[in-house]
Amino acid sequence: MERVIMGNHAASYGAQLARAQVIAAYPITPQTQIIEMLSEFCADGRLNAKFITVESEHSAMAATIGAATAGARTFTATSSHGLALMHEMLHWAAGARLPIVMAEVNRAMGPGWSIWTDQNDSLSQRDTGWMQVYCESNQEVLDSVIQGYKIAETVLLPLMIVIDAFVLSHTSEAVDIPDIATVDRFLPPRKAQYKLDVTTPHAFGGLVTPSHYMEMRYKMQKAMEEALGVMEDVDREFQQIFGRSYGLLEEYRMDDAEVVLVTSGTITSTAREVIDSLREEGQRIGLLKMRVFRPFPTERARNALACAQKIAVIDRNISFGQGGIFAQEVRSALYDAGTRTPLFNFIVGLGGRDVTPTSLRNIATFIFEHETPPEDIIWWEVNK
Amino acid sequence: MSTDLVRPRESVKPETIPEEEYMFSGHAACPGCGGALAMRHALKALGEKTIVVIPASCWSIIAGAFPSNALQVPLMHTAFATGGAAAAGISAALQMQGDTETTVLTWAGDGGTFDIGIQALSGAAERNEDFIYACYDNEAYMNTGIQRSSATPWGAWTTTTPVSKFKQEPKKDIVGIMVAHRIPYAATASVAYLEDLVYKFRKAKSIRGTKFIHILAPCPPGWKSEPSQSIKIARLAVQSKVFPLYEVEKGEKYTVNVWPEKPRPVREYLQLQGRFRHLSAVDLETIQHNVDCAWEELVKKAKESGTC
Amino acid sequence: MKDHPAAITEINLAHEAEMPPLPMSIGTTLVNKTGTWRYFRPFYEDKTPPCNNACPAGEDIVGYLALLKEGRYEEAWRLLTQENPFPGVCGRVCPHPCESECNRIELGGAVAIHTLERFLAGEAAARKLSFVAAQRIDEEPVVVIGAGPAGLACAYHLALWGHPVTVYEAAAKPGGMMRLIPPYRLPAHVLDREIANIEALGVRILTGQRLGGNLSWGALQHYQAVFLAVGQSRSRKLGIAGEKAEGVLSGIDFLARIERGEAVRLGRRVAIIGGGNTAMDAARTARRSGAEVTILYRRSRKEMPAAEAEITEAEEEGIAIHYLTAPVKIWTENSRVKELECIKMALGEPDASGRPRPVPLPGSEHRIPVDTILPALGQEADLSFLDETIQIAQGQIATDSATVTSRQGVFAGGDVATGYGTVAHAIGSGKRAALAIHHYLRGESLESFPPLSQAVHRAQKSLSPTVVRLENLNQDRLTFSARPSQRRLDAQTRQQSFDEVNLPLDEFTVRFEAERCFSCGICNACDTCLIHCPDVAIKRDGLGRYRIDYDYCKGCNICAVECPRDAMSTEEESKWKE
Repeated sequence: MERVIMGNHAASYGAQLARAQVIAAYPITPQTQIIEMLSEFCADGRLNAKFITVESEHSAMAATIGAATAGARTFTATSSHGLALMHEMLHWAAGARLPIVMAEVNRAMGPGWSIWTDQNDSLSQRDTGWMQVYCESNQEVLDSVIQGYKIAETVLLPLMIVIDAFVLSHTSEAVDIPDIATVDRFLPPRKAQYKLDVTTPHAFGGLVTPSHYMEMRYKMQKAMEEALGVMEDVDREFQQIFGRSYGLLEEYRMDDAEVVLVTSGTITSTAREVIDSLREEGQRIGLLKMRVFRPFPTERARNALACAQKIAVIDRNISFGQGGIFAQEVRSALYDAGTRTPLFNFIVGLGGRDVTPTSLRNIATFIFEHETPPEDIIWWEVNK
Repeated sequence: MSTDLVRPRESVKPETIPEEEYMFSGHAACPGCGGALAMRHALKALGEKTIVVIPASCWSIIAGAFPSNALQVPLMHTAFATGGAAAAGISAALQMQGDTETTVLTWAGDGGTFDIGIQALSGAAERNEDFIYACYDNEAYMNTGIQRSSATPWGAWTTTTPVSKFKQEPKKDIVGIMVAHRIPYAATASVAYLEDLVYKFRKAKSIRGTKFIHILAPCPPGWKSEPSQSIKIARLAVQSKVFPLYEVEKGEKYTVNVWPEKPRPVREYLQLQGRFRHLSAVDLETIQHNVDCAWEELVKKAKESGTC
Repeated sequence: MKDHPAAITEINLAHEAEMPPLPMSIGTTLVNKTGTWRYFRPFYEDKTPPCNNACPAGEDIVGYLALLKEGRYEEAWRLLTQENPFPGVCGRVCPHPCESECNRIELGGAVAIHTLERFLAGEAAARKLSFVAAQRIDEEPVVVIGAGPAGLACAYHLALWGHPVTVYEAAAKPGGMMRLIPPYRLPAHVLDREIANIEALGVRILTGQRLGGNLSWGALQHYQAVFLAVGQSRSRKLGIAGEKAEGVLSGIDFLARIERGEAVRLGRRVAIIGGGNTAMDAARTARRSGAEVTILYRRSRKEMPAAEAEITEAEEEGIAIHYLTAPVKIWTENSRVKELECIKMALGEPDASGRPRPVPLPGSEHRIPVDTILPALGQEADLSFLDETIQIAQGQIATDSATVTSRQGVFAGGDVATGYGTVAHAIGSGKRAALAIHHYLRGESLESFPPLSQAVHRAQKSLSPTVVRLENLNQDRLTFSARPSQRRLDAQTRQQSFDEVNLPLDEFTVRFEAERCFSCGICNACDTCLIHCPDVAIKRDGLGRYRIDYDYCKGCNICAVECPRDAMSTEEESKWKE
């Protein structure tokens, strides 16, 4: 069924179709519509689930962990400071190997207060053990939620679907909402192998001494590595049933590209337009969409960028004292390639500053005019 | 004449304490730990269909290191502040599974209840989540080495309220706070009155909604007391009215469970604990006065409730 | 504990494959033997209850009260009579030192042990219970002289060990001093039944056999062992003029005649001299014949050796007691007693007995008219039948603590050796003699004599000789519970009959009374230790008690402190000792 819906509601439909059983969430702009729609679904029976209106995001994740440990399929959503408040529990969810799926609306961190889009909130959590998928369209949001459960419940790690604030969360697009019977075929109910069960009592999450802790962490990393293959398998299966697939990353017009823009989130869809326009002008420029950030698809990224002569990573975030985070990770992936391709790191759009086609075009021009990056970090359209 | 005769209590075996054990030996509690004994009997009361949630506290360690478990029932460890929230999640999952028999029990220390955990507890209570929240209160952050909490009583030494500036604030009235949420059931319990403790857990299990039980748990290392005296100290706490045993139903009806026949002066309770050794005679009088006033308030409420 | 998959104790994580990918337990804390933490170990140690310790007959009082409490009357009676075959007698006439030592005194009053003893005797009679005969281990009989409490107790215990026993008794009926206790204190059928029970074990009692009379000392020489329990049959004389007149009859002789059914002409006014139980017995018996009875005692009421209840009951029955009064001379008429001249006394410094010496007050002489005088000034032993091989000291047969006399094979006990003067002590003495004789006959020396309070048959059990006092108990766990009052016949009825004065308690009250026993020093499986162990280290041992699992006991000793009755002790863990 095709509907014009906002990005947030796409996430709600995703959770509904996936038959989430327990939802514990706390409102924060610009996530609120996700949970408001789910509240209605639960109240009127369109979704058979328990909705817990917790009193903070930290409690939201704690309650979600509780429900997941008891074997339920769970869902939550947050943004920015809410995600930051959950930080302790994000570590817990991953260490507890719980297949929680969460919608994370990228929003800038205060002070000053900002409700607009920025990637620092989600990227600050990149070490917690959560898988991270950055979405470009409302359809992708809905589909990623459904895929997300299958992936998470296979590798036993939690997964967050990242959605740009307002640009994606509040923008309406046409979305194909699959019928639930089809989704059921793709995604059966969760069968938790390890759970709280009075018939086979276990203790979960207790003290682990140095003798055993590293092995558990090793297994988490292994699960992350395994997730790369699992994501591709799930994506392929999704393609067969629903006719859509997304991949870990997407190469757009990169076959003979000399310059490659590396983007994530909604900047990607703006960039497609700019790439097309520049191509018409004869520029050999391509676009690499980074969709899955965790686990980082190192080998695939390295292969995709092998032939590029200049790489420009567009970061709507910054790790203070170092640089753009996507740039760090891409640079790191390229280290073993031995190519030393010049890599330009552009910091754009922090705090929701609009990244227009003109901005991107100007970035492209800048790259054409420079052999190597003049600075480690190139702050774009900032009044210095 | 025979109707005047009352069987002496000491002659009657505690028939109301169930025989089955749900806690194993070999757990890591200190010798004489009130919190360990309280858990043992709470689980006896609740039985095998119980899921225990333990936020960071002594019991996070007592329960044993991986791969051991000290309990015969499922147990989920959780972060310090989350006792109320984690239980809410488990309770929701059980409801989705159609399980109406399993009890969710949060077993938190005073830190995880009075301080860092109070938000999650209050949130869960306001939503009337269906679980039992038990606080085993040893009156300080004992697991991290005896630092003060808002449950530490006035006058006590802790590592963060040293003798030269002992705790100046009164103990938070946690039961009063929970009663203000109008939850169906709130009560205090003591390891020196185990039949009463078992009765209260059983009663809590039979009620839907949020139930709160506050247990005084003597801690020999933290209270600087002899391990062998833990039960005696707990008993004196009740007999000196420092820790009265009572229940509050639906936030209104107060019932006092133990009326000390020969109330003891608080001094007798305090002098068994090194953490109070530095107190002067005037300090003791202050404590006695405060205890007496609090008792009068409680008795008044019980009278207004028509339970005595 | 259920046999859950989680309840496994052995965990082998050698292989990574066995490890769960998340911190989920796969075993229990039973692998952690916390017993290594211990500095002080608690252990179960039964100690001596004060009542058991005080009982002259060595009864296991706490033991039989525990059985009585549960309605197991036959077992209780058998446990009691394992030590003392005379519960019906002792339950009535013993001064119950057990009750004086009872730790319950300050918490509602001593347990009424004597009443419970009496109840059990009654139950045994009602159910017609008898002693179980033992296998004969010997063919040669042991001879006992005197069928009083000492002699019969000795015979009883020897019979239980399988020895044949013959008892020679001078009087027409067995019982000794027990026979002379008036029926309003000790009904004859009670005594008869308990003696018959002993005879039913095969003990031969031959009455009318007086040693030094028709039974010669020489005739006893060929027996392998002889126990002399002839008691103190001679009454002390008044030592005043007129003593030989008609109408002067020793209290003991008076009671003996009444017991035999002889008519004794008392006249209207009777004076009893003395302050002991015999004096009370004589006075109250005389009263029941309708006489005016006066007791004269040379000290004050406080020094009177008779039991307080006896004195009070005597007064209630209309008997006058003149304290600080001593007889000086008997005035006669026609060789018959007419008046008794007395003198008032004052209390001076303590004499050899420790009591204030009575000092006559000159000028206080006075006469009282009397028809009969019954002196009851105590008894002495008649040892005329002995030869020089038996040493005598201070008018009693000399023995060591094991009743052995100066002559091998001859033992002596009861009043003739100890002069103690109570039935219960005589029974204890007889039991001690039986133990000594039994070992002697087997050629064993009795190295150390177990304390009688531990009971002869329990001597094999490990019981600490430490006596438990009130300060040893956990008084936080004890409550006040009042002792029921003793119901008696009213004084009016009593004066006209020899019916038993003290009324029995009903069964309900008896069971309740047994529950008032704290079981001092003896574990009674109250579960206090079990429920208070924070480490679940105390388990039921399948035999009604508990065992401590020392693999896990951390030595907090809460169990030992909380035990209401001091049935546990603590010792330093051996690995920490020097």
